Amino acid sequence: MKRVTFRTAGTRIVQYRLLVMLAAVAIFGAVSVNDFLTFDTFQSVLDRATVVGFLALGLTPVLIAGQIDLSIGSALSMAGITTIFMQPIIGNVPAALAGLAVGVLIGVINGIIVVVFKINSLVATLATLLIFASLALLVTNSYPLSSADPIFGIPLTSDLLVILTPRSAIFVAAALIMFVWLKATPSGRNLYAVGSNAPAATSAGINANAYLFMTFVISGFCAGAAGVLQSLSTAAGSPVAGAVMLIPAITAVVIGGTRLEGGRGSSLATFGGVLALGALTALLEYNGVPSYTQAVYTGLLLILLITLDRIVSGDGTTTSRTHRRGRVAPNTPSNS
Amino acid sequence: MTDLKAPVTVPGIVGARSGAGSVLGRISIPIAIVVLVVIGAVTSPSFLTPSNLLNVLNANSTVGLIALGMTFVAVCGGLADLSVPANVAMGGLIALGAQPAVGAVPAAILGLVVATLGGVVNGVLVGYLRINPIIATLGTGSVLLGLSQLVIGGGIVYGSPSAIADFVSGSALGVPIFIWIFVIVALILQPVLSRTAFGRWNLAVGGNYAAAAASAVPVRFTKGMAFVLTGFLSGLCGVLLALSNGQARPIIGTGYEFVAITAVVIGGSSLFGGRGSIIRTVGGVLITALIGNLIILIGFPTQATGLITGAIVLAAVGVDAYFRRKAGRE
Amino acid sequence: MNARRNIFVASAAAAVLLAVAGCSTGGSTGASGGDAADGSVEGKTICYVTLANSHPYVTPANEGAQAAADAAGVKLTIVSEEFSAQTGADQLNTCVSRKVDGILFWPADENSYLPGLLKAQQEGIPVVAIDTRAGDESMKLVASFVGADKYDQGKISAQQLDKALDGEGGIVIIAGQAGNGTEIARTGGFIDELKASGSKLNVLATVNADFDQQKALVASRDLITKFGDQIKGVYAEDDTMAKGFLQALEESGLTITPFVVGINGEAGAFDNIKAGKQFSTILQPPYRNGELAIQTLIKVMKGEKVDAMVPLENTVVDKSNVDTLKPAM
Repeated sequence: MKRVTFRTAGTRIVQYRLLVMLAAVAIFGAVSVNDFLTFDTFQSVLDRATVVGFLALGLTPVLIAGQIDLSIGSALSMAGITTIFMQPIIGNVPAALAGLAVGVLIGVINGIIVVVFKINSLVATLATLLIFASLALLVTNSYPLSSADPIFGIPLTSDLLVILTPRSAIFVAAALIMFVWLKATPSGRNLYAVGSNAPAATSAGINANAYLFMTFVISGFCAGAAGVLQSLSTAAGSPVAGAVMLIPAITAVVIGGTRLEGGRGSSLATFGGVLALGALTALLEYNGVPSYTQAVYTGLLLILLITLDRIVSGDGTTTSRTHRRGRVAPNTPSNS
Repeated sequence: MTDLKAPVTVPGIVGARSGAGSVLGRISIPIAIVVLVVIGAVTSPSFLTPSNLLNVLNANSTVGLIALGMTFVAVCGGLADLSVPANVAMGGLIALGAQPAVGAVPAAILGLVVATLGGVVNGVLVGYLRINPIIATLGTGSVLLGLSQLVIGGGIVYGSPSAIADFVSGSALGVPIFIWIFVIVALILQPVLSRTAFGRWNLAVGGNYAAAAASAVPVRFTKGMAFVLTGFLSGLCGVLLALSNGQARPIIGTGYEFVAITAVVIGGSSLFGGRGSIIRTVGGVLITALIGNLIILIGFPTQATGLITGAIVLAAVGVDAYFRRKAGRE
Repeated sequence: MNARRNIFVASAAAAVLLAVAGCSTGGSTGASGGDAADGSVEGKTICYVTLANSHPYVTPANEGAQAAADAAGVKLTIVSEEFSAQTGADQLNTCVSRKVDGILFWPADENSYLPGLLKAQQEGIPVVAIDTRAGDESMKLVASFVGADKYDQGKISAQQLDKALDGEGGIVIIAGQAGNGTEIARTGGFIDELKASGSKLNVLATVNADFDQQKALVASRDLITKFGDQIKGVYAEDDTMAKGFLQALEESGLTITPFVVGINGEAGAFDNIKAGKQFSTILQPPYRNGELAIQTLIKVMKGEKVDAMVPLENTVVDKSNVDTLKPAM
């Protein structure tokens, strides 16, 4: 009996993890910082979370499909550099489109390597991470590019409808679009099928390879969007901008609940994870907590969430359930 | 299972491959090394000098230790240990930071112990709780690195001159101690992986976890130990670097996990487990080292290193995947 | 199963946050700029975007800043960009949206802070830059810059090397992080001075080692392998990197003795100068830097006039005065 109660409580916490986190942050924030719970704070948190948020958003379909994309940081850097570089040549808006195109291109390359050359995505995107990070340093000679028109991107972080900024509005819109696609369209459902069991999906008539390819393109596109927004907002194309963002992006996705095994996930969950991580970071920052201590909290949170997840729900496969059944102590009734 | 899915659903063939695949697999590393050496000798007069070659080996020995540990992680299907930078930093910071309190040698040992404990945490999370290794090691890495900076209170830790610092920075028989340490560890670990029961367990666990579990292989212990070993070796790397530099900063290990993983992959071991050997990783370390050296000597911009390394990783894995598929179809 | 629950959770979360936010909106701490007349800064807030939480130069600077803030009764919030200008730009924006009374920031590159500086100007929040200059566009929006003249440091270093090598010989430059204002200034000052003085010193190579000893060690090994005894002089843009070079030199066993000049006045450099391994360094006291920066910002907050640049003195340390001076860190 006791065990069921614990597991039930634990399950509830895990399911509503985002709510719990946000509530906790709100409470701690209200207590420790002046004016923490204001529209300004919300606007600032969401705005700052946008760039990493786009990376996390793009990662979500990839993970649902059972793959991973480590190159998103390098794609972000390349897209940002392209945008700034092209501004004086083709104009501000076309330059932004060029940056997006670079992101898509990197996604296509990843897709080809994984689907056509059948190299697994961990190694493939590790290699492209190295290649494009290097390329970014090479083409800029390690110097960040300065924008020829720094004023253009400034409105991106200005006030919009009190709680948003133009760039965070774009992010929210993207998250909603992806949500609708994943949950409400046939192709979205097919993606889950491919991620759960690719051979079964194939025999059901779904072109698994096409879906896998598409997820990398999406991830590249989102990384490109992140890079464009980042570089325009800071009026600079930095070759290392994306390098530090991979880990926060993965953290946000994991906090949100999407798992690395494939077949499960949700863009709203990712959005929630991004928001929760952003809120936590803001809370710690406003309290003057040094960045290394922030890393301790974030890391512990990650481990805690994933451990709870594992203890409470298992990994869902028959193997683990067998293990669990086998682990029940002999004198405990096996179904209480 | 916690593995990422490879798009190829052909079951991995543990052990020997047939025909062209296995021959090519065996000679490709030595060929690559020979090719690189030839390129070096032809393009730069300073390449084949003892000082340059020793320099190259010396500079890569410490990260090479980590690659040796990462081999076990790869072989047992543990994917990757991303907490390496944290364990390197812990080892180094403690080895110097504790010196005033306990003396140079005990401080170094303490650094090793703490880094190994980090590996134990990873081992428990990945081996026993079956948590995805990428997430688990990312988490523990963040925590450990943050803790190490918290304890140091920011900045650099300076070490005082000591006999052990002089020793590790020196040479024996004209060869730097770092290289000796790498070679000795490699010589110890090679038979561990290829001949002992523990080594066979690693291969079994990586090849087919469920089958290994059914055959009474201590799967959780095996997988966990791979991470403990990597933690220890990362700590050793950090201790050695700190002692020889006379100072330690939390960033000393940055990027080492990628270098180690690259060496393992270039060497031909699969990150998904079931295949690999220490000798292969040593080959991979050599290849990575030579590439870096050639880039400098030929005068390529150093930023190109990642580009070339990434391309070689793709080539190595691509060729390997091609031959494995061919073998699978036979 | 999950979809509906996820929608519910997400919208509930958003609703909770907004509702709570809505309840306490409007009451933000007073906008800045006011109170110029009475000159009191007790209880005001300063947001300080620093370069790092844990760095040999930055940490004492942060301590100096904290001390100066405490002395004036001002509440100081320190956030660290950890060497990333993107993070720093975000944090600057956050500082502005928190409507603090003064902002101190440490530019990690030239331009990324422009949007935040414009916003700060709109809100009337005074801003001071510490240690490293940002680009010209950005500096126009800043009340003052407090730090050593890095360009001058480059110049002085060129003069030092020129003196040591009697005007000719091969040298290598071990530079800091590419794109960083300090690196740009220290390199620029050095190169310009060489040209201006017509020196025959020949720059064999320039490498970037990001102000880090380990990276400098690795880069130096390669430089020594490539150029060997052609290296007569070394300009390391800080003492940590100078140390890296000296370490590589010792490792290589080469019997050359190039003249090494560094910057920052670290304790290790002092020892090396005494031992004859390093030729000179430039003392740049970090604690004083932080202290002075906050004091200057407080002056601006009080409405007093300050200079566009408040310099930290550059003191050359070489064998002649190394025993009489104290290292900065």
